Amino acid sequence: MSDALFPPARRDHHTGRFFDGIVPMPIKAEVWVDASQRALIIETTDITETWPLLDVRLIPDQADKARLVLRLHGDPLRRLVLPDHRLLPDLPHATRRAPVIQRSKLFVWAAAAVASVGLIAFVLVPLMADQLAEFIPPEGEHALGEVTLEQIRGALSENVDGVHFCTKAPGRSALDQMQNRLTQAMDAPPQLTVHVLDHPMVNAFALPGGHIVLFKGLIDKAADPEEIAAVFAHEIGHVVSRDPTRHALRSAGSIGVLGLLFGDFAGGAMMLLLTEQLIAAQYSRDAEAQADVFAYQVLQRAGISPAELADMFERFRSLGGEISGIEAHFMSHPALGDRIAQARAAVPTGFESRALLSQSQWADLQTICDQTSTFDQAQ
Amino acid sequence: MPDAAPAPPTPPANPNVLAGEFVGLRRHLFWLAFKTGILTVLTLGFYRFWMKTRLRRWYWSAIRIGGIPLEYVGDPIEKLLGFLVAVVILAFYIGVVNLLLMFASFALFQGNFAAYLLSFLGVIPIWFYAQYRARRYVLARTRWRGLRFGLEPAAWGYAWRSLLYWGLTLVSAGLLWPLMTFRLEKYKTDRTSWGTARLTQGGRWTMLYPSAKWLFIGIVAGLATAVIAFSSSPDNALLPGLAAILVLPFGLVYYRVDSLRRLTETKKMQEITLKMRPSSLRVFGIYVGGYLFAGILLGLIMGLVFFVTIGAFLGTAENFGTDTFDPEILFQGNHPVLIAIGVATYFAVFLLWSVLMQTYVTMPIMRHYASVLELHGADNIKDIRQRPRDEHIEAEGFAEALDVGASI
Repeated sequence: MSDALFPPARRDHHTGRFFDGIVPMPIKAEVWVDASQRALIIETTDITETWPLLDVRLIPDQADKARLVLRLHGDPLRRLVLPDHRLLPDLPHATRRAPVIQRSKLFVWAAAAVASVGLIAFVLVPLMADQLAEFIPPEGEHALGEVTLEQIRGALSENVDGVHFCTKAPGRSALDQMQNRLTQAMDAPPQLTVHVLDHPMVNAFALPGGHIVLFKGLIDKAADPEEIAAVFAHEIGHVVSRDPTRHALRSAGSIGVLGLLFGDFAGGAMMLLLTEQLIAAQYSRDAEAQADVFAYQVLQRAGISPAELADMFERFRSLGGEISGIEAHFMSHPALGDRIAQARAAVPTGFESRALLSQSQWADLQTICDQTSTFDQAQ
Repeated sequence: MPDAAPAPPTPPANPNVLAGEFVGLRRHLFWLAFKTGILTVLTLGFYRFWMKTRLRRWYWSAIRIGGIPLEYVGDPIEKLLGFLVAVVILAFYIGVVNLLLMFASFALFQGNFAAYLLSFLGVIPIWFYAQYRARRYVLARTRWRGLRFGLEPAAWGYAWRSLLYWGLTLVSAGLLWPLMTFRLEKYKTDRTSWGTARLTQGGRWTMLYPSAKWLFIGIVAGLATAVIAFSSSPDNALLPGLAAILVLPFGLVYYRVDSLRRLTETKKMQEITLKMRPSSLRVFGIYVGGYLFAGILLGLIMGLVFFVTIGAFLGTAENFGTDTFDPEILFQGNHPVLIAIGVATYFAVFLLWSVLMQTYVTMPIMRHYASVLELHGADNIKDIRQRPRDEHIEAEGFAEALDVGASI
């Protein structure tokens, strides 16, 4: 028997109110600690309760700090209310936590929740998206791409009419020639709509329905037209495998599922965006690698060295496009270093390239943004 | 030994009438909300089930009727469990249904708007369902004088009625709003019990029209503004426009407070009734004051963080021997220290905002309501007995997953 666990009982009695949990009337009770029984004795006119001191628990987080509300461990209903805290030192386990009674159930459901969200967001939704993307009618896909393009033009510009299209005719015809050279190297060339946007971003992307967008920044930074053609071929690769459409469908399914997990925690939206970004990155790493492989083949057949893609990637890297560590997980493109090496390795020995554009055509393409419009004839 | 039982501070003259009061102090709530809020942020949101439980325990214990407080006996683990159950069920619905809707929308309407609209509409019935179930859970875990409250399981009935009455309210341009308020409140009240005693909602829906008077005046002022602005010059519309802007928010608060009073005073439990004398002006003042105070305080704090950050960067610039500071580097966004400060500020602002809303809006309003409440017919309480426990396995999980947004 330890004295610390069983402090000597005090002679003094306390007056409290007892609720039996059956009748809604407070019962005046005389309360004292019985040292011999190591128990709290609660005596009313009708009954006497004996609560072992070790089993008496405090109801926490009470607004009235003066009062003491006690319950008996294992008894959900009975309550004893005391006007002050004098009895507290006699109750060694007053603040002990309630045991987690549903522990195994909790683990089962936690595992089920993680598994079902994971399964749906990472397996079922991508699988369905891949299947469904094949069934979307081409005109629907094209229109969807147009809507998305308008959204992007609006988002990248502070002007009301969005980022302008570059439309100078000689530049456009140089671009068309580049497109023809690439599509002629394909067995089944897809329907393409190519735009140049007057924006300094060094980037290009594909949208649902065969829309390909090149930014002015990309044309400005490229050393020769072949580098642009390399990026162009990569984007055609995305169009051929319908990556943009699949991606749009996937994020529609997964973003809602992930939203469930965060509820109203810290504005939810930010966490949601970060997680969605992470998932999207996982999806498209494969897609990027496949588009690279597609580009090597098309470039090679079109008489352009796949190493041009490596040159363009090196330019991205020198511009700060390479990001490592945790941030890399949030970026959808595989590490540039790997891709540069792979592009160089894709050049067959003894490969001879043919010129893509004449000097004057290249100059025309570089000045395509001298004339801009809010409407693109290419549409 | 003095035989002083913890008696109500001022026993009312009539023992048949029990007065309500609120005994919690703001600073205690502040620390509880702050402490649990920090834990919630640090655990990436998992502590929120404990936070809600503890806050409710505090609020419930602060509300006393006739000197005896309410007690909240909800358990955080059951909330977590309920949340997980709801996630398992909803993940399938939301993931697959959203994807199919998006596909149909792309294929048929060449855009994603139809899909967003449909998936939003599809969640609305579940939202009402979740709301009712959350209420059932909270009532089942609320006790007064040792007896449990309870709400019958009838959530789908509530969901379709909510859709119906919301529809009627929208179609009637708001004129049938009192009908919706009354019918939905009656549906819930008539299924509510305290111990063995059943509550009933009396009165008629038309009794809520006087509650809407300021709202309707505000709407009329708004319509007048539009008519004047279009028919004559916008200058003439200034006065009615100003009136509409001032009256509409007050009208909303007045409607909530006054309809609450009317609905409360027409509730009955055997021979027990409630009286309530809330002041709409007071509640309106709490809202305006609370939001202003929280907004100004957070604005000051964010300003301070901003200037301290700039100061620190000036300091480092000097350390590196450059005497010019280019504020551009603050906005380049890739600086790890800046990202850390940004994330920390985001969470701090979010945390402080919710703590200030608890302490300067939710608590004062609850305190006001509790202090103007009276229970009549207390003689009948002694005949009521305990009711059995409502296990309610998924607790308020649906409401939690769908972010139905109960304030506490």
